[in-house]
Amino acid sequence: MKVLVTGATGYVGHNLALTLAQNGNDVHVLVRNPRSAFIPQHPLIKVFAGDITKMETILPAIINCEVVYHTAALVQFCSIKPINFYDINVEGTRNMLNAALHSGVNKFVFTSTAGVLGPSLNKEMSEDDPRIIGFNNDYDLSKFLAEKLVKEYAELGLHTVIATSTKVFGPGIETHQLSVNSVIRRFIAGQVSFCPSPFGFISNYVFIDDLVNGHLLAAAKGRKGEKYIIGGENFSYKDFFEKLRTVSGQKGIIVPMSKTVAGIYGSWHFIQHRLMGKDPFINSKAVTQIYCNKAFTPAKAIGELGYIITPFTTALQKTIHSLKIEMYAKQSLYPDYRVQ
Amino acid sequence: MQNKVYTLITGSSEGLGKAFAIECAKRNMNLILVALPGPELYALAALLKANYPVEIICIGKDLCRDESCTELYAEVTALNLQVNMLINNAGIGSTMLFKDGSPVFYEKQIRLNVLVTTMITRMFLPLLQRHACSYILNVGSLASFFYLPKKQVYGATKSFVYSFSKSLREELRNSNVQVSVLCPGGINTNPAITLMNKTGNCISRLSVMNPEEVASIALNGLLHGREVIIPGRLNNFFMLLDKLLPVFIKKILTGITMKTIDSNRLNRYLVPAVTTAPVAVPHYSPN
Repeated sequence: MKVLVTGATGYVGHNLALTLAQNGNDVHVLVRNPRSAFIPQHPLIKVFAGDITKMETILPAIINCEVVYHTAALVQFCSIKPINFYDINVEGTRNMLNAALHSGVNKFVFTSTAGVLGPSLNKEMSEDDPRIIGFNNDYDLSKFLAEKLVKEYAELGLHTVIATSTKVFGPGIETHQLSVNSVIRRFIAGQVSFCPSPFGFISNYVFIDDLVNGHLLAAAKGRKGEKYIIGGENFSYKDFFEKLRTVSGQKGIIVPMSKTVAGIYGSWHFIQHRLMGKDPFINSKAVTQIYCNKAFTPAKAIGELGYIITPFTTALQKTIHSLKIEMYAKQSLYPDYRVQ
Repeated sequence: MQNKVYTLITGSSEGLGKAFAIECAKRNMNLILVALPGPELYALAALLKANYPVEIICIGKDLCRDESCTELYAEVTALNLQVNMLINNAGIGSTMLFKDGSPVFYEKQIRLNVLVTTMITRMFLPLLQRHACSYILNVGSLASFFYLPKKQVYGATKSFVYSFSKSLREELRNSNVQVSVLCPGGINTNPAITLMNKTGNCISRLSVMNPEEVASIALNGLLHGREVIIPGRLNNFFMLLDKLLPVFIKKILTGITMKTIDSNRLNRYLVPAVTTAPVAVPHYSPN
């Protein structure tokens, strides 16, 4: 089967494209830079240079594809040009949907974020629960608007399915600096880990292999216009670090960080980067987003798609193993290498 | 007579009303949620019931209809519910030139913001007076202090709410009913407005607040008996400036603020899906 994957130079898209190719599919990947080091390498993967914000570059890649996996997005906590989030995540998605509708694509899987559903109260949230707070960052809002479009195109006849990812971790390429992987890497490298204090806030952690599998299931069995949370288990930060200790066999140094301190750090980072003319990756608001519960249930995906969660311990073992290999490789190549 | 007491919130399915409902539920207060009948209202009620040990009564009602206030009161009394807090939140906002709004729209806006607030307060006052301590929170706006272009009718309706609340507070000074008025600045009430605020000018970006922040501050203010509740440091600073600055500078400032709200640029992100084929489909032959 011929499929198109956008965002293949990103964490999720990269792993998804490789899995699809390993399963024997002809995979088209649409990338901005065809010489990027992050392009997945496989004989069945064909690279198309293009950009989701430019319709004419999408069309050559999408022709004859049966399934489109649209994982491409601007994934950042903040940007000095907030309009970028909307141009890429909303208008880019509109282009993809429009191209898919008119080139006879059978299924369109859109990768979204649990940030669209927002924080949870005491209980875990499901797909149809209303948001409990307003949108506090451009990324989540842009993904919300994109989801709205995806649902509208379902009504126009395109078989769209939304795969909502929670906090993702596991082997793969590193694309941003506040990922769960980077927390695990710091921990196993024996560096100081900062943990939001109080430690009781609950988050949902999904293993990358499960997320990729969830995408395949969404394409195969997902109902038109529906949304599925592709999540994992819910843990408090305390439990997360406890499990990390048990699996890695390392004690680790965990420093509690209050919301105020995190906010100051965020502001400092933002100002520092602005002064140096760089794009800051966080600001005070973004940092304080980790101070709330984000518990979700993938019950709908389990029930309707036959989705299975890898036990957290197993997933963590695999992740630590791959991170260690990556670290040793870098250390042998660059003796001065330190984990950032 | 039931022992349980309830807080009645109008317009509680979206924006600030929804935030009030969540904030009250967090404080274990039983709720009567009044909003347009629709899935949003029932989904919110279900979520709150699942998370907190509170009683939630949903009354789906379009308060813009003539008889709706009377019907609402009849339904609440028929269920024999005790109300000790009333949050008059339902309202219609607008930012547009006077000539761009239809007479029907302004009639609806005045009806909801002015008439419904008055009627509901009048009808529920006897119920509130039965309790040792009761509260009325009316939702006004900072727009009742600043005479902003494009906010003519809205600002005037909120000025009514402001005067009404302050006067009623004096009247009920020695009674068991506490009246407060909330005057928030910009709030990210729904995604379209959030988008406008986020990509707007510097002042609106900095002063805009999320509904959950406003609801929490408002409820604290109400319970502490504050007369006028202005959430947000920057909004309070604007109020201070309002007292200090000469009139002509204020006029320049409000003019600049309203001019830079450019809704056209943002509308493109809210355009619904269309069926038009992508232009210039090249005939592509694989290698």
